[in-house]
Amino acid sequence: MRYHVVHETRYVYDSPASLCHNIIVQEPKNQEFQQVESYRYIIDPKPHFAADRVDFFENAFTYFAVQKTHQELIVTSESTVKLSLPRWAGVDARSTPPWEEVAQWLKSVKALNDTRQFYLESPHVYPISGLVEYAQTSFTPGRPILEAAIDLNTRIFDDFEFTSGFTDISTPLGEVFASKKGVCQDFAHFGLACLRSIGLSARYVSGYIETLPPPGQPKLQGADASHAWIALFVPDLGWVELDATNNLIATDQHVRVAVGRDFSDVVPLKGIVYSGGDQEMIVKVDVNRFPETA
Amino acid sequence: MIHSYLSERTAKDSPFLDEVVNSKGGVRTHWQRLVSSLDRLGHEDLNSRQREVDNQLRENGVTYNVYGDPNGMNRPWRLDPIPMVFGQEDWEVIEKGLIQRATLLNHILRDIYGSRTLIREGLVPFELIYNHPSFLRQMDKIKLPGDQLLIHYSADLARGPDGKMWIINDRTDAPSGAGYTFENRVAMTRVFPEMLRENQVRKITRYYQTLKDTLSNLNWQNKEDPRIVFLSPGPGNETYFEHAYLSSFMGFTLATGEDLTVSDGHVWLKTIQGLKKVDVIVRRVDDVYCDPLEFRIDSHLGVVGLMEAIRQQNVLVINPLGCRILENPGLMAFLPRICEHLLGEELMLPSVATWWCGQEKEMQYVLDNLPFLIIKRIYRTNEHRSVYGPDLSQEQIEALRHDIMARPYMYVGQEMVNFSTTPSYIDGKLEARNAVFRSYIVADAANSGYYVMPGGLSRSSPKQGVFLVSNKDGGISKDTWVLGEEPTQRSVSRTSGLLKGGDNILPSRTAENLFWLGRYAERTVHIIRLLRAILQEYYERNIDNHPDKDEALTKLLQTLTEVTLTHPGFKDDELLAKPEKELISLVTDAGRIGSLGQSLQAFLRNGYAVRDRLGLDVWRIMDTVTEEWQVLQGRKRLNSINHSLDNLIVKLMAFYGLTIDSMTREPSWNVFNAGRFLEAAMKSCQTMQGLLIEPKETETERTLLEYLLMINESLITYRYKYRSTIDLSGVLDLLLTDEDNPKSIAYQLAHIDQHLQPVSISEGKGLSTIQKKLLAAQTRVLLSDPRELSKIDKSSGKREKLDTFFSEIISGLGETSTLINNMYFNHTQQRYGYVTTKLPEV
Repeated sequence: MRYHVVHETRYVYDSPASLCHNIIVQEPKNQEFQQVESYRYIIDPKPHFAADRVDFFENAFTYFAVQKTHQELIVTSESTVKLSLPRWAGVDARSTPPWEEVAQWLKSVKALNDTRQFYLESPHVYPISGLVEYAQTSFTPGRPILEAAIDLNTRIFDDFEFTSGFTDISTPLGEVFASKKGVCQDFAHFGLACLRSIGLSARYVSGYIETLPPPGQPKLQGADASHAWIALFVPDLGWVELDATNNLIATDQHVRVAVGRDFSDVVPLKGIVYSGGDQEMIVKVDVNRFPETA
Repeated sequence: MIHSYLSERTAKDSPFLDEVVNSKGGVRTHWQRLVSSLDRLGHEDLNSRQREVDNQLRENGVTYNVYGDPNGMNRPWRLDPIPMVFGQEDWEVIEKGLIQRATLLNHILRDIYGSRTLIREGLVPFELIYNHPSFLRQMDKIKLPGDQLLIHYSADLARGPDGKMWIINDRTDAPSGAGYTFENRVAMTRVFPEMLRENQVRKITRYYQTLKDTLSNLNWQNKEDPRIVFLSPGPGNETYFEHAYLSSFMGFTLATGEDLTVSDGHVWLKTIQGLKKVDVIVRRVDDVYCDPLEFRIDSHLGVVGLMEAIRQQNVLVINPLGCRILENPGLMAFLPRICEHLLGEELMLPSVATWWCGQEKEMQYVLDNLPFLIIKRIYRTNEHRSVYGPDLSQEQIEALRHDIMARPYMYVGQEMVNFSTTPSYIDGKLEARNAVFRSYIVADAANSGYYVMPGGLSRSSPKQGVFLVSNKDGGISKDTWVLGEEPTQRSVSRTSGLLKGGDNILPSRTAENLFWLGRYAERTVHIIRLLRAILQEYYERNIDNHPDKDEALTKLLQTLTEVTLTHPGFKDDELLAKPEKELISLVTDAGRIGSLGQSLQAFLRNGYAVRDRLGLDVWRIMDTVTEEWQVLQGRKRLNSINHSLDNLIVKLMAFYGLTIDSMTREPSWNVFNAGRFLEAAMKSCQTMQGLLIEPKETETERTLLEYLLMINESLITYRYKYRSTIDLSGVLDLLLTDEDNPKSIAYQLAHIDQHLQPVSISEGKGLSTIQKKLLAAQTRVLLSDPRELSKIDKSSGKREKLDTFFSEIISGLGETSTLINNMYFNHTQQRYGYVTTKLPEV
C-alpha cells in the first residue's frame, strides 16, 4: 500500500505573537515494512532558525523558531509512504513464548536497555490500583504473550467507549480507567500501563490511519486525524503493534511516525509562543491511498 | 566553660562521638589551641563576640529566604562562633577521598550520558537510572570541552561512630552555599582575627579563583573573555542573597530566565543596550526548569530554546543539565564496586549504608526495618522529603510500606547513623550538637583534576540529639577550619587576573529595578516629608480647634490624598474631622496602594533585586531601613510614629549619600538617578498643585508656603536667598526655575535628561522622543513667569494658570516614564503560553 499524508496544523493567535519556539515530530520513520518515499514540511511564516534532529528514541524531529511578529502559524508536513506487511502479520499468536518468560528475560542485563526502558513508568503511564488484575485476566499463567496481548486489546476495545472530548492531555489514567471512556491516546496509555504492570515492554506509537467513509459516500478531505496505538515487544517478532481503538493488529494501514514511552515523548507539534492572548488550533489530516498499480 | 562541656561529654555516656573530646575525656590535638582561646575569652567576651558576628552578618545583609516564614522573606543567616575544625592529617584523607569521589562521579556521569557500559555490565542497575526524572534523554551524548562534565560538586559529610567521615549526600545539580561560606569566613576573620592566625587556618579564596578560571577557559569558541551569566531563579529563591553575592564577587552578570532569550540558536542577554551573546551559564535553576519547551512546561524560571542552543554548542551550561542524576541516593549502594571497576581503587570515603528497594532482597530488608531507617526517594523534591522511621506512627509505616511496594525502585532505605557532635554556642552555653559539613569541589581545568576547598559550610542541628541541619529547619551554620600549612600552588591557567569584574552590561530587568528603586526611594522620602509637615501642624494647632477647622491642616491632608492617590481620603469630611485612623493606615498599611508602607516595601523589593549592583554599605543601610520599617509597622498611635519617620528620613538620606559615594558611574547609576529625579519632579509638582491652587487668607497661605519649602528642604535656602517674608512668587521662583536649587523642577528635569544621555539608544538623527519630551517640559518651566502663574482667575477664584501648568508638567513626566519603559525595559515583559497538538481523535 502506498499512502500520501498531509498533516496541517494552524494556530491563530488572538493577539500577535512576537516570537515562538516549536518542535515538530511528524516525519514518518523508515522501517523494514515502511519505506518513506518523500517527506517535507512547510512552515509559514518562514522560520528564522530550524534544525533537524534525532531524539533518544531515534525519532526525527525539527526545532524551529519564528522571530518576528505573526498572527498565524501554519505547519504542514507531507509524506509519501509505502507499506508492506510486517513480520508479525499472519503469525500464529499461539506460537509465541509464554509471557512470563519474556518478562523474566527483560529483567536481565541480556536484554538491551533500548528494549527494557519501555517496561518502566513514564509521565502518562504509571502504576494504579486494579491494573495488574485487569491485565492478568488476559495474561493467565503460561499463556503465549501475543495471544494474551490480542485478548487484552479486544477487551479494551469492548470495555471502553470511544468518546471524543471527554478527556484531554491532563486526564489521569485512573480517571480513564474508572470512566472507561476516552480516545485512542487514552486507550494506548491504558494498554501500556497494563502491559508494563506485569513487566512487559511496550511503547507508544504515533502516526496516521486512513478513515474510510461509510459505503457509497465520498471521502471528505481533511477528515482524517492523527492516531496512536501501542507496540509490544515479542522476541523474534520485534515490536508488534496493537490498535485497541480499532481492535486490530496494525499491519499495512498504519503509517508510523514516532515511538516513545508515551504521548509526551512524541507530541506532533508543541511550542512556546510569546503572545498576550489565547490561540485557536485547527488540525487537518488527509491520508490518501494511491490506486494499486497491479 | 569548656570544662563543663568536657566533663559532661565524658560523664554522660552519650551515644555520639564528639569532635573535641577524645575517648579519654581530653581535648583532641587540633582543637587544643582553640579550646584554650575560648577558655581565655570567658562567657562575657564570647557573648559580645557572638553579638559582633551577628551584627557583622546582618550588616552585610546575609540572609536566607524561607517560603512562608512568618518573619517575612529574608531571615538573617545564623553563624555559630564556634567553628568546625579539621586537623591536617584528618583533612588529607577527606581531601583525597573527595577528589576520588568527584573523579568517580564524573566517570559515571559520562557513562550514563554516553555508552552506558556500567548498566550493561550490571554495575549500575538499569531501573535506578532510567526511572530517575533527571535522566534527561535530551542530554544523551552530551559533551563539554575537556574530559570533565561535572564542573562543581558538593558532598555533605559527617563523622560516624568509627571516627571516619561518611558521605551523606551528593549535590551535583546546582550546589549552593559557597557564598555563605565566604561570608562566614569574612565575619569570623573580623571577629576572631587572632584565633584564625594562631590556629593556622587555611584560606578558602583559591576555590573561588579556580572556579572562575575553569569557567573562563571553558567555552566552545575558545574565547579569551567569554560572557558568563549567573542564572538565578530570582529574588524569591531561598539563597538569592548568595546568587547576588557570588555573581558580583566573581564578576558574572546576574540574570533570571526573563533576562535571557534564544535567537538564531544562541542565548542572548537582554540589556538596555540591546542583545548581548552569552557563552557560559552558571545555573542555580534546577535542571528540568531550564527550558519549558523541552522539559517542564510549567517552568517560568528557564530560557525557552536553551536546549537547542546547548545542542548547537553555542552555549555551555554549568553544571550541564542532567547532572542531578548523580544525586540519586540509590547510587551510593553501588559506588564501592563501580570505584574498583573504573578506578581500580577502593572507595575512600564510605557512604551511609543504603538499600535500594529496586532489588528484591534489599526491599525486603527495608520493609522489615522501616521503623529504624531513613526512607528517601531516589529523586528529591520539596513534596517528598526524607522520612525518619522512628517518627512514624503505625499507620504511617503501613502507608509507606504500601507506597514502597507499588513503586519499589523509587525508594531507598538508609541507616540512621549516630554522627558526631561538636560544641555549639547557644544561649550562652556550649552544647553538643550534631553537625554536617558541606564540602566544595571544583574542576581544576588547568590541572585536569579537581580542587577541594580547604573549608566549607558546616551546619549544626537546632535541637539537641536531633539530626536536622538544613536551613529550612533552622540549622545554624559554622565556619569550617582546616588547620595546617598552605600547599604550594600548582600551575595557574592563563586567566590569572584576580577575579576581575564583568563588562558592566546592564540587563533590562535590572535596569527596570534600578529605575524603580530610584523612583520609590524619592516617593518614600517625599511622602515622609509631607507626613511630617502634617504631624507638625496637627500637634501645633490651637488645641480648641477641631482638625477640620484648621485650614492649613485640611489643605495638607488633602494634598496627601492627591500625592498618594488614595481617594476619597481627606476629600471626605468625616475623615477630615478624625484624621488619625486614615493617617495611620496611610503610613503602616503596606497592602494599600499609595501608602508609605507600599512605597517603602517596593523600594526594598527593588533594592533586593539589584543588590549585586549596590555596594556592601548600601546593603547595610537597606537593612537598617528594613528594621526601621518593621518598628514603624507595629505603631498603632499617631504620636508614636514621628520618631520613626525621622529615623527613616535619616536612613534614606544615608542611602542616597552612599549611592553617590559608592556606585560607579556606569549605566546602573544613570538609570537609578533618572528614576530618582523623575519621581522627585513629579511629587514636587503634585504637592505644589495640591497646596497652591486655591488661594487662602494671607496667614494660612504663608503657613502653607512654609510647609512647602520644608517639604522641599528649601526653607533655609529661601531665607538666605530672599531675606524677606515668604511670598508665592519667591517660592515659585526657587522651586520651579532656580537651576541652582537641586529641589527645583528645572534642575530635576535637566538631570533626568543628563542621566539618560549616556544610556540613550540611537533613533537616528536629532533628539530622541524622550529628549523632546523633556526639552518641552524644561522650556515650559524656564519660560514661566511666577507672577503671571500666580494670578487668580476671576470666575473660578482659583489659580487656574498654575493648575494647568502643573498638570502639563506632570503629564509630560508620566509620558516620559512610559517612553523610558518602552525603550529600555519593555522587552522584559514578555509573557508566553504553551501550545500543543490536541489529542489525536481517531
